[in-house]
Amino acid sequence: MNTTEVLGYAWPLVVSAGEEIAFHLSSPTLRAAEARLMRVRCGDPDPAGPGLKLDDMGSAVDGQVALHHQPIHPGSFASVDGVPALGSFSFGVFLWPTRPGQDARSIAAMEGWRFGLGADGVLELAVRSATLRATRPLIEREWVFVCASYDAATGTLAVAQQSLDPQGGRDRSEAATGKAAPGLTCAGTLTLARGFDGKLDRPRLYAAALDAGTARALSEALVPPSGDPRLIAAWDFSIDQHGDVARDLSAQQLHAKLHQMPTRAVTGANWDGRSQAWTEVPWQYGAIHFHSDDMADCDWSPDLTLRIPDDWRSGFYALRLCAHTGSEPVESFVPFFLRARQPKAKLAFVAATATFLAYANSALRLDQVHAESMLEGLIVLSRDDVYLQEHRELGLSTYDTHSDGSGWCWSTAKRPILNMRPRGNTFNYVNDTHILDWLEHEGFDYDIVTDEDIHREGARLLAPYACVITGSHPEYFSKQMLDAFDAYQRAGGRHMYLGGNGFYWRIAFHPTLPATMEIRRGMGGLRTWEGEAGEHNLMFTGEPSALWRHNGRPPQRLVGVGFDAQVFDRSAAYRRLPDSFDPRAAFIFEGIGPDDPIGEKGLRGGGAAGLEVDRADATLGSSPNLLLVATADRLGTGGLPAPEELRTLHRGFGGEENARVRADMIFTPTANGGAVFATGSIAWACALSCDGYTNSAARVTGNVLRRFLDPAPFDGFES
Amino acid sequence: MLVNDPATAHYVIDPARVDLAEEFRRNPKGPHSAELMKVLHRMRWSGEGGRFVLITLDPGRRWMLGKLPGIRGVPVESFANRIYTDITEAEWDVFRIRWKAITGQELPE
Repeated sequence: MNTTEVLGYAWPLVVSAGEEIAFHLSSPTLRAAEARLMRVRCGDPDPAGPGLKLDDMGSAVDGQVALHHQPIHPGSFASVDGVPALGSFSFGVFLWPTRPGQDARSIAAMEGWRFGLGADGVLELAVRSATLRATRPLIEREWVFVCASYDAATGTLAVAQQSLDPQGGRDRSEAATGKAAPGLTCAGTLTLARGFDGKLDRPRLYAAALDAGTARALSEALVPPSGDPRLIAAWDFSIDQHGDVARDLSAQQLHAKLHQMPTRAVTGANWDGRSQAWTEVPWQYGAIHFHSDDMADCDWSPDLTLRIPDDWRSGFYALRLCAHTGSEPVESFVPFFLRARQPKAKLAFVAATATFLAYANSALRLDQVHAESMLEGLIVLSRDDVYLQEHRELGLSTYDTHSDGSGWCWSTAKRPILNMRPRGNTFNYVNDTHILDWLEHEGFDYDIVTDEDIHREGARLLAPYACVITGSHPEYFSKQMLDAFDAYQRAGGRHMYLGGNGFYWRIAFHPTLPATMEIRRGMGGLRTWEGEAGEHNLMFTGEPSALWRHNGRPPQRLVGVGFDAQVFDRSAAYRRLPDSFDPRAAFIFEGIGPDDPIGEKGLRGGGAAGLEVDRADATLGSSPNLLLVATADRLGTGGLPAPEELRTLHRGFGGEENARVRADMIFTPTANGGAVFATGSIAWACALSCDGYTNSAARVTGNVLRRFLDPAPFDGFES
Repeated sequence: MLVNDPATAHYVIDPARVDLAEEFRRNPKGPHSAELMKVLHRMRWSGEGGRFVLITLDPGRRWMLGKLPGIRGVPVESFANRIYTDITEAEWDVFRIRWKAITGQELPE
């Protein structure tokens, strides 16, 4: 089955009934496909489970849709329109190149001249047909001041580079001069960093041929004298860090438009480590990190639009596109989420859109050498993975690194997302649909609410619901989301957390752009890349990022358990603990014998406790009233603790020897009749359908959900 | 910048320990002996002999052997003559390839 011959994205990603949604599609080969709008019940094609279950909605867009190819243009850069006519000019900037010597890269360019790095990493200035080159290639990840000038009176070209740390073989300082035709002029649009990987800090453009010392002084100055008529532009990247405009401090106001979301709020050449937060020393964060593979917005034209009928239930939805390429069938899905505009059910299921975006188009298993060791077996690629290996223009996930090795710290939905749709890889989205499938099988009515709506609307979005379920892996949470759940619980809400490694990373959604989230991974936690020193605060909001545990709000505080280990080789069953026989917890285990294992089967590793697992810990915030009702604490050698679980290095930390490597099942009351039930395992969701939905994990889930929907308070606990 | 280095897996595999290969063949999913775990870590971390993968042809039923090129944008190499209906057979094939690459000695079929 070909899943990629046609791709697309829906906008907006989250929609209400009565609103319009557009489908932006592209195929390099197909001229048409058969479209049908489906509601997703189960998106997992695994033949061992329920299989794909999609409800055909019968919509106005069903039928043949014409397709055309819409290319993607990755790579962040800045552009400045309306640059006045220049004869002589100078351009200077502090530079931190991250891929010198890979390909020719532009630092600054206009029609008629280009200042950049050659394919050998050597600085070069080309003016018309003349090219002047330095001789010593720049060093990767070393700050250097670079400048270029052209004297229109004489045709003299000059380039200079000055290493900021000239020690230990790092000094690449030099200057060179050359000749071009005199009398040339240029005007129009200037681009900065097109195709460039690395940071630019305090770029300056001057209408005169300056010597290197003067040009450097202009860049050293945080605010160059704006009254100087020869100053054309002095961009200050430290202003409006969340925005897509870079401010020019000169009288010309030649503000730069930023394309494809380069990473802002990064340390400049003058960062001295006095603070790790750009909000405290903004003048030390006047740099932007550009990446030649940044991709925030495909900017495809829409091919189909649909007004969502008023009577459609909220849910996970997808436009299915079917065709044939040669003899091979094509089935590709374009996902979106239909939110409940008004509460219709007593139960809400949270579509973890922050987490789905964080993982969007993850190439971790393609690029990172640890993957096969971590997964304890051969990596199994889907057709989507095979496509992604070849088509990096889709943009990767926050688990990946850019081509220059720096971490990918934001993600958007204005692009096809291969692993957030039916038939996608078995994590997050697809796993969560197992819970939807179980709810449908059991006949529970539910509404869908999304992470981003919770972020933007707060606790009032959750308040109408008697119970809220978060799914298999709600890993990425903003402060607003955490506050909303905290308020919901305090107000008597009941929260079932049917997953593992939830509420782990602190993120933010963009203040104005929908479906756009940011993470800075910092230097702790289970991370696939490490942030640069001083770059741990979010450009979208200025808030610190990294682990919630390191932000004073461990997951245990909200849901009783928090991430402790991963175990990818096999999953286990839970065993009942003494608290499970407490009469106050009896409702959880109706139909379960005292010695019965819980979750002894599952589609992920053969059990319900696995992949990533959580444990209770009073020192991290688990409540005094918490009942630790079951645990899976014999996870074997494949169970490896999260880095933040180790204070010191020592033998014996693996799951075979360490009982802190475990999945805990807990129940705890909260205020005003509220409660939390947590299973602390990603694998739980994919155990619910085993044995025709009659297994012990499904029974426990049903027992708890029925009780949580019953408004009767939980008695017998101290307040 | 913290990066993973595939060259750091330096456990020396003793080609005479064919018993470890036999243990793997008997039980590719483990749990494995401590010695075999070290062998597998060397193979899987370093990728010597090839960073092999399985390409799904039919979810949960049929897979084709592939090899990652290690360069972004370059297609996954696929081996149309290596189709599996049982992942454990693929694990054994790849184990043998890597054993040969690391020790220079063939394992029996």
